[in-house]
Amino acid sequence: MSGDSELRVLVVDDHPIWRHSVAAGLEEAGCVVAGTAGDGAQALRVAAATRPGVVLLDLNLPDMSGAEVTRRLLAGDPGIRVLILSASGERQDVLDAMTAGATGYLVKSAQFSELLAAVRSTAAGEAVFTPGLAGLVLGEYRRLAAGAEPAAGAASGPASAGRPASPAQPRLTERETEVLRLVAKGMTYPEIAALLVLSPRTVQNHVQNTLIKLQLHNKAQLVRYALEQGIE
Amino acid sequence: MAEQMWRVVAVFRVVTLVYAAVLITRDHDSYSHPAAGWLALGVMAAWSAITIAAYSRPGGRQTWLVCADVAVAAGLVLSTRLIVPASQINAGAPTIPSSWAASSVLACAVAGGPAGGLAGASVIIAADIVERQALPQGTLSNIVLVLIAGGVGGYIVQLGLRAEAAADRAARLEAAIAERERIARGIHDSVLQVLALVATRGRELGGEAAELARLAGEQESALRSLVSGASASRPEGGLVDLAGLLEPLGGSRVTVSCPAGAVLLADPPARALAAAAGEALDNVRRHAGDEARAWVLVEDDGAAVTVSVRDNGLGFADGRLAEAEAAGRLGVAQSIKGRMRDVGGTACLRSLPGQGTEVELCVRRF
Repeated sequence: MSGDSELRVLVVDDHPIWRHSVAAGLEEAGCVVAGTAGDGAQALRVAAATRPGVVLLDLNLPDMSGAEVTRRLLAGDPGIRVLILSASGERQDVLDAMTAGATGYLVKSAQFSELLAAVRSTAAGEAVFTPGLAGLVLGEYRRLAAGAEPAAGAASGPASAGRPASPAQPRLTERETEVLRLVAKGMTYPEIAALLVLSPRTVQNHVQNTLIKLQLHNKAQLVRYALEQGIE
Repeated sequence: MAEQMWRVVAVFRVVTLVYAAVLITRDHDSYSHPAAGWLALGVMAAWSAITIAAYSRPGGRQTWLVCADVAVAAGLVLSTRLIVPASQINAGAPTIPSSWAASSVLACAVAGGPAGGLAGASVIIAADIVERQALPQGTLSNIVLVLIAGGVGGYIVQLGLRAEAAADRAARLEAAIAERERIARGIHDSVLQVLALVATRGRELGGEAAELARLAGEQESALRSLVSGASASRPEGGLVDLAGLLEPLGGSRVTVSCPAGAVLLADPPARALAAAAGEALDNVRRHAGDEARAWVLVEDDGAAVTVSVRDNGLGFADGRLAEAEAAGRLGVAQSIKGRMRDVGGTACLRSLPGQGTEVELCVRRF
């Protein structure tokens, strides 16, 4: 990273007040607001035209789900980073968007300084984990290990098509489970690093790996589903 | 439902028409007026065609047509006297329409329920008795069968229609509730957005705006609790969603993390876990310092459900348990342990100076 002049952000939110306020805040902080969009379709158009580094994406858009916007943004530009922001935070919606490839998740009640830090981490490709997200990811691994059907509300994607658990379920290592549980209990990376005698960077890597494994699994499921359905 | 029943009437009519044709073909040599026998069969065939065509459309199911249906059938029963010699009738020969007459009774039952069916059956039975001029055993059995066809057929149709109407009402109600919830979600999301915005911007501005920000923040977490708690009130198969019980505990200083799906538990352990977690959080508020924050983590590994409540407050060393007891903290810990023991669960308390306190509550499923 060579500084914020390179940090181009697309703000996607269907509430004009929030959109403008966040865009203004980001510009004040030295980021470049590449554009704003009020729905998913517009977000995809603006992203294709302005090629932002980070997309700040509200989960609750009028035309498509956060997971779908994320998937399509990444299909258009695999290098794009998506930071999910949500107000009401339906747990399944958040998880769907994260496994679809989003890099981070933040609740809207976060302070602006937290938001700014999250945008910067996201641009650097670092997963932004709230304790809530860690709880969701832990739960998802347990669900996959149990070979259970997806939780109610998983309306999109092949995982909800009632197919049996695939033979190669992603698993957490003992260390990863330990780290994720500590994140979910509100400990910061430096605190976890001190407790487990690791470097903060290693902690960050463990956390990030848990998400990447889920995203790869999700992608493989999508491909498998497409092949089974005869969709090329 | 009604459609299927009318189709059954049509099929019954065709089958009984074929049966009547077979009987007339077999017996017409012995009729006093064989030509009249063929004419009666022609009338039955034509009337069957007319009624099947008319009853196939909802607009054709008129009361007068159903009455005419019964009248035609009764007329044909009475015509037996003119066509078949009295000696044969007295010997128990079938009537000209035989069981075809019952198809009009079924039509009455489908159109008018049990009352309609019984009324139609009475007319056909009366015609039957007039035609026989006696009540032999065979006719009596036929009468009972026609009464059953009319009464029971009508009752079944009525039951079916009621069930259909009830299912329809339920589907409509469900759709209305789903739509109301969808609208409510949209409104809640908008309000949460604005409250969150006021809270964050106000905090940055400071002064009086900071006070507004604090109020907005409180309302935001209250509304968030209300929205997320609403889902817990709907139990599934006698089980309660623990996530829905715990989420309302979240707020500006408390974060609740759960799996994406429902964490289903029987009612008593779910309530015990929620109450114990609530007590642990009260304890944090009282003893861990004003700046302390707390995190609640819900984990479900299938065999057991674990709820951890951690704070980043002052904490205490293991060797200072007595001190903690004096401060009233252990008493609360004992009450939490008791709650968990009552539902066959466990509670353990860990604390390290400077790392806050953690209470781990666990309930096994089996």
